[in-house]
Amino acid sequence: MANKAKGKSKFKILKGNVFNQKGAKLDMPLLLITFILLAFGLVMLYSASYVYGIYRFHGDSLHYIRDQAVFAAIGVVAMLIASKIDYHIYKNYIKFLMAVVYIMLVVVLFMPDYNGCHRWIVIEHVGTFQPSEIAKFVIVVVFANMIEKNYDKMKEFQYGIVPFLIVLVSIVILLFFEPHLSGIVIICTVGAIMMFVGGCDVKWFFIGFGLLVAGIIRVLIIFPESIHYASVRIDNWLHPENDLSNAGYQSYMGKLAVGSGGLFGLGLGNSRQKHLHLPEGQNDFIFAIICEELGFVGGVMVIALFVMLFLRGIYIAVRAKDKYGAMLVVGIISQICLQAFLNVAVATGTIPNTGISLPFFSEGGTSLLMILGEIGVVLSVSRSANLNRGE
Amino acid sequence: MDRKRSNINVTTEMKKRTIWLCTGALLCFSIVIVHMFKIRIVDYEKYKTKATDVQQRETELSPMRGSIYDANGKILAQSATVWSISVSPVDTKKEQHQLIADGLGKILEIEPDVILKKLGKEKSYYQSIKMKVDKPIADEVRLFCQENEIKGVNIAEDYKRYYPYGDFASTILGFCGSDNQGLAGLESYYDSELTGEKGRIISAKNGWGKDMGTDYDVISETKDGYGLVTTIDETVQHYLEKQLKLNAEKHKVQEGAVGVVMNVKTGAILGLAVYPAFDPNKPYELVDENLYNSIMAIVDEKERNQAMSQARQKQWRNKAVNDLYEPGSVFKIVTASAALDSGSATLNSSYYCSGSVKVENWTMKCAHLSGHGAETFAQALINSCNPAFIKMGQDMGIDTFYNYFYGFGLAEKTGIDLPGEQNSIHYTNKTHNTVTLASCSFGQSNKITPIQMITAVATAVNGGNLVTPHIGSRLVDKDGNIVKDLTPAIRRQVVSEETSRTVRNILEKNVFEGNGKNAYVAGYRVGGKSGTSQKLDTPQKDDYIASFVGVAPCDNPEIAVLITFDDPRGEAGYYGGQLAGPVVGSLMGDILPYLGVEPIYNASEKSHASVSVSSITGYSITDATVKLQRAGLNVKVVGNGENVISQFPAVGTKVTVGSTVVAYTESGESAMVSVPNLINKTPDAVRAALNSQGLNIKEDGAYSGNNSVKVSSQSPNAGDKVPMGTTITVTYSDTSFTE
Repeated sequence: MANKAKGKSKFKILKGNVFNQKGAKLDMPLLLITFILLAFGLVMLYSASYVYGIYRFHGDSLHYIRDQAVFAAIGVVAMLIASKIDYHIYKNYIKFLMAVVYIMLVVVLFMPDYNGCHRWIVIEHVGTFQPSEIAKFVIVVVFANMIEKNYDKMKEFQYGIVPFLIVLVSIVILLFFEPHLSGIVIICTVGAIMMFVGGCDVKWFFIGFGLLVAGIIRVLIIFPESIHYASVRIDNWLHPENDLSNAGYQSYMGKLAVGSGGLFGLGLGNSRQKHLHLPEGQNDFIFAIICEELGFVGGVMVIALFVMLFLRGIYIAVRAKDKYGAMLVVGIISQICLQAFLNVAVATGTIPNTGISLPFFSEGGTSLLMILGEIGVVLSVSRSANLNRGE
Repeated sequence: MDRKRSNINVTTEMKKRTIWLCTGALLCFSIVIVHMFKIRIVDYEKYKTKATDVQQRETELSPMRGSIYDANGKILAQSATVWSISVSPVDTKKEQHQLIADGLGKILEIEPDVILKKLGKEKSYYQSIKMKVDKPIADEVRLFCQENEIKGVNIAEDYKRYYPYGDFASTILGFCGSDNQGLAGLESYYDSELTGEKGRIISAKNGWGKDMGTDYDVISETKDGYGLVTTIDETVQHYLEKQLKLNAEKHKVQEGAVGVVMNVKTGAILGLAVYPAFDPNKPYELVDENLYNSIMAIVDEKERNQAMSQARQKQWRNKAVNDLYEPGSVFKIVTASAALDSGSATLNSSYYCSGSVKVENWTMKCAHLSGHGAETFAQALINSCNPAFIKMGQDMGIDTFYNYFYGFGLAEKTGIDLPGEQNSIHYTNKTHNTVTLASCSFGQSNKITPIQMITAVATAVNGGNLVTPHIGSRLVDKDGNIVKDLTPAIRRQVVSEETSRTVRNILEKNVFEGNGKNAYVAGYRVGGKSGTSQKLDTPQKDDYIASFVGVAPCDNPEIAVLITFDDPRGEAGYYGGQLAGPVVGSLMGDILPYLGVEPIYNASEKSHASVSVSSITGYSITDATVKLQRAGLNVKVVGNGENVISQFPAVGTKVTVGSTVVAYTESGESAMVSVPNLINKTPDAVRAALNSQGLNIKEDGAYSGNNSVKVSSQSPNAGDKVPMGTTITVTYSDTSFTE
């Protein structure tokens, strides 16, 4: 891929006053993992999507990959720019960013629905994006900032819990109306991880968990229709083959794809399930297609890449120049890897179908752009981190 | 940014907590990997199989069903490509639904609402609209779709069975079900040969259920079915069906009629008809409208369906093969052959008939109640004398009788290549007693199928060889090459050639002067035996089966014809010789010339020979007379001229030898005469009446050499004005006898 060459060809061109990084080196392993994931993702997306393109867009096998490649290119540039931007800058715009997020989360509720959900903001001729993607990043910035500010008082309830909870609860309520269950899960989990690493008293997590269970029960009582929504998905997870005409079909076809790949798979491009048997094979269920074509080995490879990304991210975090940077990295890396974990777990039938895409792999330009941008932020942190210490 | 460095730095606790975080993350990913390992390595086979079910489709390709031909290669049954119209609602545009429904509805003659409803099943990929439509209709549909740019209407190839001659030979041919599987007749018996072999293709299919086109494996090739050449002669079959229908209707036959024409030397069936026939193109439609109406009048649906199903089964039954009857006097051919062949009787044996005979406690009557008196062996058969045959049976004994019964193939199925053949219900040498032997000797008590009867007769007259009746002649491939010869071998010699010859002679004599007269065909040596049997297993006492078997030519038999009428209720009564005899006679008269058997007239039959009238116009009266006399014709001069200026009948007309040609020597109108009434007149009276009017005669029907026969029909009718010299056709029949 051309991107790889580009990646190596230094970024000194981008030096300037705006970029307060003073020529510090970014973390090459992380960049390498990112490019591998990106290249791998594009190849697999093409393999998984060309059939859908042919069937659904009058023989246009490039339908999905074309947009994705464009966004990948833009994303790489965005990543490199972000890696040059001083990550402290975001702190200065927290109020603005929060305001934008809330506005967008309200606006999205009035957008045309897709499968009964209002998750996408549609801008004519430009594309669609999910405000929750931006919300995820903004929350990471906000939390990182709060943790750094109040680190010493993190054990206290009013500093270590209340402000975080206010942000989380308000966002969750808005997401609930979309409804966007997977968004809620990711934002809450990432928030909790950041709070945990940020030094909250561990007891609050147990209390929080208890309250969560109680809360879920309470919610289910208030909104009985959401019981249905959730229970259908859980039932589909446990017995996908029972309801093949409807929702269970996707889970079951995914399971069949994963299962029929065997150890080494059917070979790249040879998936059978992608021939319209498996809905969203280019999107939420792309991991199933990877498993079918590349087998157990391919599946483990994907997981290994995310694990490496995660570990390298944490490596950068603990060596970051400051707590804010560390928390940014923890938040971003957790978010990406959590998403990957949830997606892979769904495709293998380990957890119920939640509708989470696989970062770097699934179709979705704006989402890819966000992820690459966020990696850029991590790289930016890595520039000022003391990476050689202890190596 | 004025904070202490320690305040900003990542703390040890944070690092510790990241280690927890990493541990948690690794644990989560491990769980996924373990789970993945389980479904792909441990349960691999299970998922692989299930996935294959989803992804692959085994398609069967239908072979073309073989045609059925008559002996001369005429097609009696054939499969033609037809088209099935279906829609795939997912592929159709919603705004075109009304257009599609209206268009297809009009072309296919279906209510548009029905189609609209099928189109409404939006997730469906296949909704059948109409099966098996012909090419023009399919083309119309195709054109309609092209013109309106309609997608989602599919036209698939299929096969449909056609029977070009309609209800012709239906009982033999049978018919096919909707999947082209043979359900009756030859279609059923030779089903596997006609069907061929289905081809199998395994192809990858996509989630829409469609084949992916390029990616398929041929598991086995399609093999079209073989063609079946039968021994049926379309012409003979037509003669047979026509006569059977005509006479069955005339004699108000209640339980159906059977006609079989067999080559006595090979057992090949030239024609086999059952009345009433059905149309194999529409086998489920009841032919009998009254029956149909009475069934439709049944209120209870279950009862109605049951009645309908029974009626259909009955309609499809091949009475010649599937049903048993008591053959009656026709069976006497078998008894007579056995008696002669076993030596228990000779032509010199003499019998006495007092009109009845007592066997143990049973008094068995002869049809001729006053008795035949003393009679020879041949007379006993010609008289169809029951007491004489009882004596014949007693003379040969149970074992010999049964040996011959078995020998003639009456104790087992004939092996005819039609489905569902019944075996006879008969007494064996173990179960016979003197009473059953007596009644069986003249054809009662044992029940056999018509095909068994004609096979036994064929055996008796063909030199004694038991043949296997068969319809299939050979299987041929597409190019007409013989794949398999189906002609069965002669099974065994049952009686000697001599016995056979003797029996033939007696049968011929029976037609000449006995109660077989109605089967007489001038110029052909037809032998025959009538039969009238009482149906003993019906509640009514007066149910009869009238039958007649004829063989010809008796010097070297070619064909046998059996006609049976089950329960005739017409004015002509129920005697086999009177009902079935004339049918056999007229069939022989049609079939023998068709088969190329040359008529040979004996002295008394000379009058039956025909000649073409030659031209005498322009001739002098003397020359004309000489010319016509040389051809065996007479001249009657009308007018006072010297030369013939016109003649009647015209040149080339076929007339009987001895006819008169009217020669006009003056111009003017033809002399017209009135046709006399000839019905019930004896041959002599007929000749006298016609002669006096200057009319010519053509004699049909029973032998007219003696005056025991009378005219049963004439053409033209009495009172018609016709030109002098016209030929009047009369049909004689013998109604003087009982059985």
